[in-house]
Amino acid sequence: MTSPPNDIGDQLIAFLPNMRRFALSLSRAPDIADDLVQQACERALANAASFEPGTRFDAWIFRIIRNLWIDRTRRQKTAGPSEDVYERQDLVGEDGQQVVDARQALTSVKEALDAMPEEQRAIVMLVCVDDLSYRDAAEVLGVPIGTVMSRLARARKRLAEMTGINPAPGRSTGARD
Amino acid sequence: MTEPMIFDDETLMTFADGELDEATTLAVERAMETDDALMMRVATFMETRAAAHAAFTPAEPVPAALEESVRGMVERHRAAAQPTSNVVSLGAARTKRFAFAQSTWQLPLAASLATAIAAGFIGYQLGQGPGSAPADSDPGGFSNAEIASVLDSAASGDEVAIADGSGRVRMISSFKEQSGALCREYEVDRSAGASLVAVSCRDDGEWAMRFAVAAPAGGDGYAPASSLDALEAYLGAIEAGPALTADEERAALSEAAR
Repeated sequence: MTSPPNDIGDQLIAFLPNMRRFALSLSRAPDIADDLVQQACERALANAASFEPGTRFDAWIFRIIRNLWIDRTRRQKTAGPSEDVYERQDLVGEDGQQVVDARQALTSVKEALDAMPEEQRAIVMLVCVDDLSYRDAAEVLGVPIGTVMSRLARARKRLAEMTGINPAPGRSTGARD
Repeated sequence: MTEPMIFDDETLMTFADGELDEATTLAVERAMETDDALMMRVATFMETRAAAHAAFTPAEPVPAALEESVRGMVERHRAAAQPTSNVVSLGAARTKRFAFAQSTWQLPLAASLATAIAAGFIGYQLGQGPGSAPADSDPGGFSNAEIASVLDSAASGDEVAIADGSGRVRMISSFKEQSGALCREYEVDRSAGASLVAVSCRDDGEWAMRFAVAAPAGGDGYAPASSLDALEAYLGAIEAGPALTADEERAALSEAAR
């Protein structure tokens, strides 16, 4: 009648909002996100034995979601030399909004992320929103840690430009890529 | 003016995120003291993290349908892992309850109270309506007087035949209510049909049934866990005292008989 207090089922239920948030960031469609979460829970329950106690539950479940998403989109690209094909596109609209109030800024953070390539969006969610380490994020995404860092740095510079965070006109000495 | 140290974006971001090694962290800190542009770049990474975090926190509520579905999934998995988890032996449940009773009757109520309501106090349908005095009505179809005499005398653990052997009363435990009234938990079996899990308390020299749930037929000592959940919820709700020891029970019974 009893289950271990910290069994996978309880953890899954407690973690549903985060799972869905991550799934939404990948799919940008609520119905698909819900599907992903549901499938991920099924997979997690079926493979509960593969979760190693002491490792991060969140990274484990995010990886399941991520893999399901990859399956779904049949994307071949998970890592490797072609990783940056989506990251070269330039996004417009960063001008003319040097002053934004806090509420507008929050909205525009979501809009800015939505406009980014999925790979960048996912890494921002994992590290900045769900507080995974670079290493855990690399695990989730199946890419080297160096790739995590380069993607994340690029995504955040773009995010800053698009939302008017810390504009510091003319002061940026950051290397342009 | 000396040329400032060059740090690339990734290094500064790693610094902002607190993942940079110690030596480089010190170098960045030193450089920031004199290099405003560098500080602004670091600030950008700190602020983007804070902004992203703020924009998505707290996470949106999960749609009820999704949560329901996952909860069901979890339950099914638990049931599959323990095929008998839905049905417990009354003997085992009694032991569990009793062991629990010896420390305290305090119980996690949230889920089990809902069960009690859902169970609808089915027992009452067998006899009296809720809240009304049991009078001469018949718990489980037997005469109140006959059961009362068992409640007066039998010790917990005893099983007494009633109604010329067509039924049995099993005494489970005794405890004191908040008011100090003596209460007894017991089960009534009919030879055919449901058994009754009941609690009666001593009120003005009479046994009054306070709680009853019908445990669906089976007749062989098995009741669904939900009826016991309902009982536990009830015991928790009335803040029942710990189960009496055999000596305490004997004393309480003889006192009540006076």
